[in-house]
Amino acid sequence: MARNVGSLEAAHASVKLLVAEKLKYLVPMTIVFMTSYIGLTILAGFAKDLMGTRLIGSLNLGFALIAFNYLLSWGLAIVYGRIAADRFDPLAARAVADIARSGEAK
Amino acid sequence: MNPTLGIFVIILLITLGITYWAARRTSTTADFYAADSQLTACQNGFALAGDWCSAAAFLGFTGLTALYGMDGAFYALGPLVAFCTVLFLIAEPMRNTGKYTLGDIIRSRMQTRTSLLAAIVGTVVVNFAYLMPQMAGAGVLVRLLTGISYDWAVVFVGISMIVYVAFGGMLATTWVQIVKAVLMLSAGAIILVMILSLVHFNPLTLFAETEQKYGAKYLLPGNYLKNPFDQISLGLGYTLGLAGLPHVMTRFYTVPDAKTARRSVVWVMFLAGAFFAGTTIFGLAAADFVGQDVIRAADRGGNLTLPLLAQYLGGGKGTFGGDLMLGFVAAVAVATILAVVSALTLSTSSAIAHDFYVNWVKRGLVEVKQEVWLARAAAVVIGVLAIALGILAQGVNVAVLVILAICVAASANFPVLMLSLFWRRFNTGGVVGGMAVGLVSSVALAMIGPAMRGADALWPLVNPTVVSLPLGFLGAVLGTFAWGRDEENEQRFDAFLLQVHTGVASK
Repeated sequence: MARNVGSLEAAHASVKLLVAEKLKYLVPMTIVFMTSYIGLTILAGFAKDLMGTRLIGSLNLGFALIAFNYLLSWGLAIVYGRIAADRFDPLAARAVADIARSGEAK
Repeated sequence: MNPTLGIFVIILLITLGITYWAARRTSTTADFYAADSQLTACQNGFALAGDWCSAAAFLGFTGLTALYGMDGAFYALGPLVAFCTVLFLIAEPMRNTGKYTLGDIIRSRMQTRTSLLAAIVGTVVVNFAYLMPQMAGAGVLVRLLTGISYDWAVVFVGISMIVYVAFGGMLATTWVQIVKAVLMLSAGAIILVMILSLVHFNPLTLFAETEQKYGAKYLLPGNYLKNPFDQISLGLGYTLGLAGLPHVMTRFYTVPDAKTARRSVVWVMFLAGAFFAGTTIFGLAAADFVGQDVIRAADRGGNLTLPLLAQYLGGGKGTFGGDLMLGFVAAVAVATILAVVSALTLSTSSAIAHDFYVNWVKRGLVEVKQEVWLARAAAVVIGVLAIALGILAQGVNVAVLVILAICVAASANFPVLMLSLFWRRFNTGGVVGGMAVGLVSSVALAMIGPAMRGADALWPLVNPTVVSLPLGFLGAVLGTFAWGRDEENEQRFDAFLLQVHTGVASK
């Protein structure tokens, strides 16, 4: 019985570690895409002339920033997939193993 | 025979074949609500793309870009960025925690009947607010494309979706979405290649030529969304509202585990994102080749831009190639609507049968076989209701409802979902507070805004998300504190977190 409770607590501790690890990556990544996208809408609303700055021919800064946001979203998706597989999945597996041990002890 | 009708009849026969096949494989609740959770990441990615790209995306974004320039490109970008939120915060917890519905998550976190009821209200309101304009849009579109009357078009779309959902459940809905996504992406790829070959593979030509034709203002923001805060509301509504749309989020129950859910989001981001990016090119090309006057003459809102562009690229009006391309795009547009309304009908019948009747009224004491029949019956009733609402909505300004659906999803469902997953102290009072404040403020502000009252608006924004979303969060937090400490709920949170992040339920 004591081992059972101990493993459950170990599982909860592993999850806390996992949540902390997730926050470490997801908070900055969320800030990046929200700043980039909401920032773009704010610029569109309040800085039209800046958005109209010509870059190449008739292509202006606004369209370039829109294109950048597409690339950023796709890039973040791939990066997230990597981080999740390398960092989150092993920690989740550890918590599951802890739980399995508590199940055996029953 | 009219090529639109011909191509559409082929698509219809394929989807009915799928439904027949799916119906034979649908007998349990897990089959009906979640296709037995057996889809691969790639399949679910295509289905998500079919689910998320409504006619507003397929036809609307191209039209907006053609008529209003950069604002159309903004509209198209938001729905891709929205998936960042879903990927980082929602998809995996959703798969790990729930079974069939959004209500499942709230129920397993709070274990109170009041909070389940609040989740049901959130689901049903958002789904109907989304379903009604889709039905009205279907009526207008099918009439424009095939010539049958508005009422018959709504009835036809309604009956098709009832057949898919009631007989084939999630499996049929999924494959209808996959077929539609493949068709949509093929149409997009063909159109893109044809455009690029016309401009010698230099898309910058399109920018130069449209600027020359319509002036420098065309390529600047603010032609469609005049109020800067509406721009911001649009952005917030998309990025956070998607995560609160039950008919899209329940797609994560169709895969076996969180890893597959994650990979399916990456799939949809590339599939749908590429299409969204394409609509900006299509819109500029349509403004350049077809011309704004012709586009406006066909439909003031620009909804026929893509079919017209396809016709031009195929060789023009009256040519075989032109008619074929027009027919293809028009038929895909109708398939698009069918895929989206089916998902909405399925998600609403799950909320009514599974959340409301089985778990709320009967407290879970219903046999599996009986529940499947209930869910099928619910799909029929909801479909009939949707047909009636669609017919009543003719001529009514339904644009406000689309905004409302996304706004309520972002302001009521999203805060409640987020706080349920991440805040230990969050309790039943918070669920009710967040739902009520988010819902009421969205509806009230949209009703007194310019979308409903035109020049008499008491409030300047068409889309109130920028105000109603913080209010929804505030309501959830204040509701939590007003309810008082729920010690048992807070102690259960460790076990809940374990399930959210690993998928393992412990007692």
